[in-house]
Amino acid sequence: MTTTEHTSNEGTAAAGTADVVLEVRDLSVTFRSDDGPLPAVREVSYVLRRGEALGIVGESGSGKSVTSMAIMGLLPKGARVEGSAKVLGQEIIGLTDAQISKVRGDKIAMIFQDPLTSLNPVYTIGYQIAEAVLAHRKVGKKAAEARALELLELVGIPNPEQRLRQYPHELSGGMRQRVVIAIAMANEPDVIIADEPTTALDVTVQAQVLEALEAARRETGAALVLITHDLGVVAGHVDRIGVMYGGRLVETGPVEEVFYRPRMPYALGLLGSLPRLDEERHERLTPIVGTPPSLLSLPTGCTFAPRCPMARELCHQEEPRLLAADGSGERVPVAVEDTGAHAAACHFSDELEGARPTDLFRGTAVATEAAEDGAGEALAEVAEGAPGADPEGAADPGTGEVILTVRDLVKHFPIRSKGLLRRRIGEVQAVSGVSLELRERETLALVGESGCGKSTTARLMLQLIRQTSGEVSYRGQPLHTLSPRQMRPLRRDLQLVFQDPFASLDPRMTVSDIIAEPLRIHGQRNGTAKRRVRELLELVGLNPEHGSRYPHEFSGGQRQRIGIARALALNPKVLILDEPVSALDVSIQAGVINLLEDLQDELGLSYLFVSHDLSVVKHIADRVAVMYLGKIVETGTTDQLFGAPAHPYTQALISAIPLPDPVKERTRERIVVTGDVPNPANPPSGCRFRTRCPKFAGELSENERVKCVEEPPELLDRGTGHQDACHYSKAVELI
Amino acid sequence: MLVYTVRRVLGAIPILLLASVLTFVLIDVSGDPLADLRMQQPPPDPSVIQLQEERLYLDRSMPERYWLWITGIGGNGDIGLLQGKFGPSTQSATYDIGENLFLRLGTTLRLVGAAMVFALGLAVLAGVVSAMRQYSKLDYTLTFIGFLALAMPVFWFAGIMQQAGVGFNELVGSQVFATIGDGTYQAQGQDLWGRITNAFAYMTLPTIVLMLTSFASWSRYQRTSMLEVLNSDYVRLARAKGLPNRVVIRRHALRTALIPLTTVAAVGIAGIIDGAILTERVFQWRGLGEFFIAAVEKNDSYALMAWLLLSGVLVILANLIADLLYGVLDPRIRYE
Repeated sequence: MTTTEHTSNEGTAAAGTADVVLEVRDLSVTFRSDDGPLPAVREVSYVLRRGEALGIVGESGSGKSVTSMAIMGLLPKGARVEGSAKVLGQEIIGLTDAQISKVRGDKIAMIFQDPLTSLNPVYTIGYQIAEAVLAHRKVGKKAAEARALELLELVGIPNPEQRLRQYPHELSGGMRQRVVIAIAMANEPDVIIADEPTTALDVTVQAQVLEALEAARRETGAALVLITHDLGVVAGHVDRIGVMYGGRLVETGPVEEVFYRPRMPYALGLLGSLPRLDEERHERLTPIVGTPPSLLSLPTGCTFAPRCPMARELCHQEEPRLLAADGSGERVPVAVEDTGAHAAACHFSDELEGARPTDLFRGTAVATEAAEDGAGEALAEVAEGAPGADPEGAADPGTGEVILTVRDLVKHFPIRSKGLLRRRIGEVQAVSGVSLELRERETLALVGESGCGKSTTARLMLQLIRQTSGEVSYRGQPLHTLSPRQMRPLRRDLQLVFQDPFASLDPRMTVSDIIAEPLRIHGQRNGTAKRRVRELLELVGLNPEHGSRYPHEFSGGQRQRIGIARALALNPKVLILDEPVSALDVSIQAGVINLLEDLQDELGLSYLFVSHDLSVVKHIADRVAVMYLGKIVETGTTDQLFGAPAHPYTQALISAIPLPDPVKERTRERIVVTGDVPNPANPPSGCRFRTRCPKFAGELSENERVKCVEEPPELLDRGTGHQDACHYSKAVELI
Repeated sequence: MLVYTVRRVLGAIPILLLASVLTFVLIDVSGDPLADLRMQQPPPDPSVIQLQEERLYLDRSMPERYWLWITGIGGNGDIGLLQGKFGPSTQSATYDIGENLFLRLGTTLRLVGAAMVFALGLAVLAGVVSAMRQYSKLDYTLTFIGFLALAMPVFWFAGIMQQAGVGFNELVGSQVFATIGDGTYQAQGQDLWGRITNAFAYMTLPTIVLMLTSFASWSRYQRTSMLEVLNSDYVRLARAKGLPNRVVIRRHALRTALIPLTTVAAVGIAGIIDGAILTERVFQWRGLGEFFIAAVEKNDSYALMAWLLLSGVLVILANLIADLLYGVLDPRIRYE
């Protein structure tokens, strides 16, 4: 395919095609399946210029990963790939293995999502990087190893000489992802495709890895395709965005254009369904109704029409093309080379001028947001009874009666030796002296990165595991002394919602049985249980008729609703929510968050909300406790904690969260932490955070540091219930 | 790696000790070595029986006998594993269990070794090819052959192969395959080429019989583990690096896909030894199988113990080798 002249648009001529490094045209991918062909990607076209960064955004199943796999020639044999992809003018679709392996890793490189599985466990880091060099360069082993060392330094890995000789399992996830980045940049490629490179990582590590990715781009001058579901990540790191939905690009344009003036209802909806760190809380999220379409039975017309509040007759008949407004108000096709154009695939995109997500999605959202499969009417009543607009409602932080208390909770897990004797050779200090209070009708969030002990704390509060020492009491009654039998009647009041909606529901039980199980255990008769199940299904916004179905017939969001219904079956007073929305797509997540808020207002529940996602926490929580290595480092009301974070760790966490706003994200002040979380079996002396603390590393004098090393800081009140555990804490404003 | 090796070897010692206790107790309680003698008509003189009881140490208690069997202290110089003596035989006063056992071991190891090598080699090959061409005609054919082989009883298949060998010999009019005997005698005094043709003639059929079952199950394992690795992220990354397909397969896929097979193969040794008894019986090899059957028939408990313990040692040894190999193949194990 040759470059065609487009006279209709002025941008084309100016931009030209000289510096295009990747040109994708009408790329389609179809998988074969037992149920017929699956069109995973349909006619995707884009160009990428030298040094440019393009973000591809979409939810799971939108085809964003498949597109890049097709370009790399990495799809399984059953996939049919049509169209064209050219790297530096060379067509790479349909090449033989021998031909494409000359291009892969040399001109175009790729970074995958899961760093824990991306590296071969049986070869050293050094070998795997050198291998990439040797695949394309005629250099000796020594030279390749020297290059590997250089690359490790570039991506910011400490002690690179030592790391070269280590195996992947000896490195943390963040380190491994940096090794994968080093491999990608080994031959100074012209294009790097990064497929959800930071999704599996903690936020502070995500910030480090994104920095390494920036370093790779600076060093190699490569253009970047950044595939992600996280609008915050793209906002700060790309020049242009392509939004994918139902296997197609539905909106493309410069990043500011798409973020500030979205022209496709889907993009607008995505932005509206996002809980944001940079906005006042109490503003209700606006989820997108329904679920992404099944690729097996794509709707005729616009694929987004079934979920779109603007959809009309035309939308259901004709699939809109990617069009951009020209100066005269006409909408015209844009040339693929015209990278400055803002195009959207919507028949009525003009009407979106200046629209806010709430304007468009609010109306439909209240009635049917929960009814992902159309059980609308039943829910409308429930939703009306629980107006989410009531901002403060019941929860006035710090005033309700304390119902669940934890004092000096400690949990150590023994590390045992392998072999017959299984001697105790150490212990992981998962929780080291945590005290918390959960009040009536409030949401207390427990936040921190993986391994900080937040889930362990949650399970201790439910007495699902026993503490090493410390106390847990519910309404003044100590729980830690009760036997499992004595505990049972109290379990009615304390219920749990799990993170993974797929693993937490028994696939062989019907939804009714799943929800009725707690009722049966607590001795309810069949008839009453049945009635209660219908009530509960309605309460969480599912069609009560669907009780006889099995979990696999529901989407992720619906399954999480089933999990919530099960937790609510016994009329609990307290719900422990362990990462309840982190497995869900953004547009679905918003609906579940709204549901949780409604249920709290309506049923007077108290939530302990365990999460790593500070944006969600800021939206839903009344009070927040930040954990690091088994200790609470800062706690306060949501406004105190986000408005004036005092502990350096909290500050680092907040500034590591990418904001879904290109300008704010690029200009904000950052407090960066280095390295990984230390081994909880052997935490640092004194302040546990000092090994990563920017204050310790940068601001403090030698004398001041002694205190951090020798003396563990206590959680001290700053005056208004806002406590932090730092010897030298100072509140700053970050958002 | 050295620490790992030493630890593994030391770890094998208690298992070996346990195996010796189990072996001894099991055989000791399972029958009276002098049952035949006592049943004789007319009944033999009690002094004859007493003499035999003393010769076989049956006049002592079980723990005493175990101690004797291991150390030989307090015996007549014909017993004590630590001294390399396996105890007196019921078969005759001059029958040396140890000497016979190791003579037969050599013969059997030849068969078991050949079967292992071919089964492993072919299983890896078939597994890899099957996985790379998943759902192709070749894959289906190999799968069919695999399940067919798994379903065939060894003794029956041995008989079939023997008949087929005879038939083939008649057809070509020359003795290509030997279908009886192990060929030890025939190999004596031959030059190298003679030994090779001799080994081919005698070993081909029994080896095929013995390897078939193991080949079938191992090739299925290899196929599964290869498929898993082929779909792994690191194989995808290896491709993304620009390595050509054959390098990806050899260096990244096969290398890691071999790890699970080492364990499976080590555990499978016991099965092969089982199969060897039957195969040797059909092809009339004078190997451990024959030794075992003779010992059972003669109620020769010390010979049985020797045989069982040797099998146990072979299995433990195979597992030890697999453990060490595992350490070599998988760095994650080494550093634990």
